[in-house]
Amino acid sequence: MERRDMGVRGVLCVLGAGLFFCTAVTATTAGAARAKEEEEKHFNVSGRPVVTLNNIVNGRIEVKSWKNPEVVVSSSAAPGKVSIETEQVGDRIDINATSLVDSSEPHEVEANFSLTVPEETELQLRTQTGLILVEQVSGDMKLQSVAGDIHLKEVSGYVIVKTASGSLICTGCTGKLDFNSISGSAQILQSSPTSLNLMTTTGNILYDGEFRRMGLYTMNSGRGLVEVRFSRSDSFDLKASTYRGTVDNQAPEVFQPDTHGRHHSLSGMAKALWVTMGQGSARVEVSSYSGTIRIVKRD
Amino acid sequence: MECRDVEAVLEQEGLSPLPAAAREHLVGCEGCRELVADLSAIAVAAKRIPAEENPPERIWVSLRAQLEGEGVIRRPRAEIEPAGVSSWQGFAQLLRPRALAMIGTGVLAAAGAWYYAVSPNSVAPNRAKSLPPATTPAPAPAVSPAEAATSVSAPLKPAAPVLSAGNARKRQPDRTVPPEATAPPSQIHESTTDLRPSPTELASFGESAATLNQTERAMPSGGRASNAEVDAALRTNLRTLNEFIKECETRLRENPRDQLTQEYLNMALQQKAELLNAMMDSGRSEH
Repeated sequence: MERRDMGVRGVLCVLGAGLFFCTAVTATTAGAARAKEEEEKHFNVSGRPVVTLNNIVNGRIEVKSWKNPEVVVSSSAAPGKVSIETEQVGDRIDINATSLVDSSEPHEVEANFSLTVPEETELQLRTQTGLILVEQVSGDMKLQSVAGDIHLKEVSGYVIVKTASGSLICTGCTGKLDFNSISGSAQILQSSPTSLNLMTTTGNILYDGEFRRMGLYTMNSGRGLVEVRFSRSDSFDLKASTYRGTVDNQAPEVFQPDTHGRHHSLSGMAKALWVTMGQGSARVEVSSYSGTIRIVKRD
Repeated sequence: MECRDVEAVLEQEGLSPLPAAAREHLVGCEGCRELVADLSAIAVAAKRIPAEENPPERIWVSLRAQLEGEGVIRRPRAEIEPAGVSSWQGFAQLLRPRALAMIGTGVLAAAGAWYYAVSPNSVAPNRAKSLPPATTPAPAPAVSPAEAATSVSAPLKPAAPVLSAGNARKRQPDRTVPPEATAPPSQIHESTTDLRPSPTELASFGESAATLNQTERAMPSGGRASNAEVDAALRTNLRTLNEFIKECETRLRENPRDQLTQEYLNMALQQKAELLNAMMDSGRSEH
């Protein structure tokens, strides 16, 4: 009798556990399906496309290239909370993401994008807080974010980056780069831009790249550190100035007196350094209002 | 108050503190917020143009042709002008804020391009190398590399002109460089003082900052909860800019000729104008 009761209890336990497991799996799957709605759209292009993505809500934008004459837009967003509209006019593709609801949770009004574009593509991307990542794309770009960081890898063209507090990391970039931020920092690594203009009010700046012949390089930070790294083979005129900060030249022995141009006088308490490296082919102008300027020679 | 009333207020009173009714209207009207932001940005930029620089007549002719081409303005034609409409009324119509904003942008672009073209400061240093050689300047005392490399100039100490004889031969005049630029190096250094902004331009910094502050006060208060993270970032950055602007202004009051501070203040004011524009787009403010 006792053996039969124990058997019944065992069967009930197994059935109960199974029922619980099935319910949990069903609920999880349904919840996941509700949380994100994924969509993929394909656009055939004939030439050099222009892709505009205006993400009014938060979210990440990732752009990579391939050799196909096609733009693929993959998006994921909470259904019913974000409206994503796409339009193609010739080789121009416009993507707009807007919030449909008011929510106190930022991640609830979030749309993430993954774009695959031809190698030569012009981009205009805008988001609020998510990361913007662009890899191996050649073409003019305008990238804007409020608080999202911007990572560029092996891009070329005329690139304009504007953020309020997002930072920029640019690796292996060529062409012209213009960065403007209030509190974001900028790191330019292993790059060889022909023209560079970096401006931040409180962020830091690190330039660890090449100086092209006839290139113009301007780096300004109101309160941050500006560090410029160069190699012995580089050739540039350097002007470094600060009002309340310091100019830390860690390789004074390799510089010559500035041999080009006029010396613009700096009034007030500004401290300045004018020197030439090599033939002075490029022009480098660095300033920090109250931060440190560091000039470092690579090994 | 409706959009046309706000435009009328802007026409008559400019960007001086807007009436309460106008500010209330701005809260719910994105178009008017953009209009106020555009006018503020134009006002700030316009004050940076030197007053003594008048664009040549051809700029005005070109600008007028472009505006006529775009249909913004039309040549007055007496035969189609309705009776009773004075030429002044037509001109007043032209001065409606939106038209004014477009014209202002065009004028700024044209004047800026012209000013850049004629300004001695705009000469690219490398351009001089490609021009014919001039009189060889007198050689200056040689300075050793080590001395130069460590010569972080002390406070208010102007950098000594350092030109060796060989290097001096490389210096060649540019057609747009003032005559004194071809003089000996010591005079070249002195001539750079002309590039500093005039006291009139310095005064414009204060006006620009005041204009931006008015715009900031006129902005709708309260943020949209849908993007609290963005609200916080924008507000934090506005505070950062205000602090930095205040620091620069304090410094300029002590030394109005501080060129570096002038440059940073100008950049910060431009950033603030853009940030306010972004905040207006989002219906957010610091308050």
